Amino acid sequence: MKSFLFNIGYFIKESGRVIKLNLLSNIFSVIGTGLILLLLGIVITGTNIGNRLVLMLNEEAEVNGYFSETLTSEQREDIATKINNMDGVRSTRIVDEDEAKTRMEDILGEEAKILELFDDNPFEAFVEIRINVDAMDSVIDNVKSTAGIEYVRDNRDVLEKIQDITYALKVLGYLMIAAVGITTFIILSHMIRQGIYNNKDQINTLKLLGSPSAFIGFPYVLTGVLLTLLGGIIAALSMVILINGAYDSMVGTIPFLPLPAREELIEQMTLWLPSLSLILGFFGSLFGLSSIREKS
Amino acid sequence: MIISNNVSLIYPDKTQALTDINLDIKPGELVYITGPSGSGKTSLLKLIMGMEYPTSGTLSVLGRQVNNSRAGNIRRIRRSIGPVFQEFKLIEGRTSLENVMMGMRFLGVKPKLMKDAANEALEEVGLGHKKMSKVENLSWGESQRVAIARAVARKPSLILADEPTGNLDYDNAINILGLLKSFRNENTTVIITTHATHLIKDEQNATFISVDKGRIAIERRYR
Ligand SMILES: Nc1ncnc2c1ncn2[C@@H]1O[C@H](COP(=O)(O)OP(=O)(O)O)[C@@H](O)[C@H]1O
Ligand SMILES: [Mg+2]
Repeated sequence: MKSFLFNIGYFIKESGRVIKLNLLSNIFSVIGTGLILLLLGIVITGTNIGNRLVLMLNEEAEVNGYFSETLTSEQREDIATKINNMDGVRSTRIVDEDEAKTRMEDILGEEAKILELFDDNPFEAFVEIRINVDAMDSVIDNVKSTAGIEYVRDNRDVLEKIQDITYALKVLGYLMIAAVGITTFIILSHMIRQGIYNNKDQINTLKLLGSPSAFIGFPYVLTGVLLTLLGGIIAALSMVILINGAYDSMVGTIPFLPLPAREELIEQMTLWLPSLSLILGFFGSLFGLSSIREKS
Repeated sequence: MIISNNVSLIYPDKTQALTDINLDIKPGELVYITGPSGSGKTSLLKLIMGMEYPTSGTLSVLGRQVNNSRAGNIRRIRRSIGPVFQEFKLIEGRTSLENVMMGMRFLGVKPKLMKDAANEALEEVGLGHKKMSKVENLSWGESQRVAIARAVARKPSLILADEPTGNLDYDNAINILGLLKSFRNENTTVIITTHATHLIKDEQNATFISVDKGRIAIERRYR
């Protein structure tokens, strides 16, 4: 520990020397790491936006339970309350015949004239049930078997697709993190092996002088951390440019897209990419070192 | 400080370099290891430094066993040794001063003290004026002195010098032997190998280990 503190200046110089010794190859490593982390940033941001979309759609997830025709409005209220108390139901609201018609007129717009062909209101009253997507199946079954509910209309297909997409995004995110981790590890351990190979005489001499392996290895860990961090910073800056570009070009074009605040994304990327690269750099370098065990 | 019992060393290619070595070297001894080229002198030093392990028998150096149990153990032994390798093993691209300090960086010495000790050692070997020269620009003799400075600056309990008289002429050989001997004291053992027996035939205060085909004979001459 003492030796470590006394040698901080030496370690920094050493790692500068190690970087310079193989400058071109190290520059490529930095660019490679930067590109991979950029890819990760893009996927994470995509997942982020996707999750937000899914969350929003989930909030919209609803099924409609159509009432039997003979019910009084009190009975409808009772049924709605009963459904409201079921697990997985977030809220209920009764839509009577008149509102159902109004809604259809809104949807049809110009074409609403067609409704005038009917003498009576052809629409039926129903209870609009907002649900948790996860509990979809059981809620639909329960509502179906409720007395006074004639039939249930659900958009199960759509909801299931949403669930699939959420799942796929998550899996993609994890795969991406694993891929980035492994690739960074490979790049780093290659880089460190090369550094060690280029300095094998010096390392051998240090061993003969009794240097602990930690002292010999630390400059290489430092080199790995510095270069990976540099890659992380490059990736973060590129992400900032990308996010700004994307937001600038999207303003006004797709207003209904539930995009997170630009600042929030930028903050996330400038914080997480460098931090992640720091962690990857540290453990990747240790891994690179430990893969070169040999006798004293 | 060096105790061996029936140590033999056989290299992987079956060369029997050393046979039944029994040693008991005490702190403060001056030891000359002599013998013709190929007799096993360097092999003996390699065993003491843990660069090779005994094929059979036991060897302890500075109270620690030399065997392949733990690399850390060997490194600890080496930290108390000041080695002067036959080919010096200086680190190129660095100055004399940096090379000397390199032997001390991991010993927990304060930077200031380390630098002072390195400068002092370079003065002692007569190379104060070359401390900022890159070692690859030094002559053979100067390089040897940097190697000696690196070995002694760390205040070792044991100094090992392999063929320091190598291809030096008589006067320079005597000078280098004198320099190495000067670091011997009650706590510091100095071990020197040489095939040039005529240089040390008059020595009256030393231990002589003569190696022949991997076997040793010991003679202690002390007044
Ligand atoms: N690494 C090695 N592998 C195989 N044989 C070796 C090795 N090192 C030395 N030898 C052999 O061991 C014997 C002793 O060598 P060495 O100790 O270098 O002798 P010296 O230093 O007295 O000249 C020689 O026969 C030499 O060829
Ligand atoms: Mg030899």
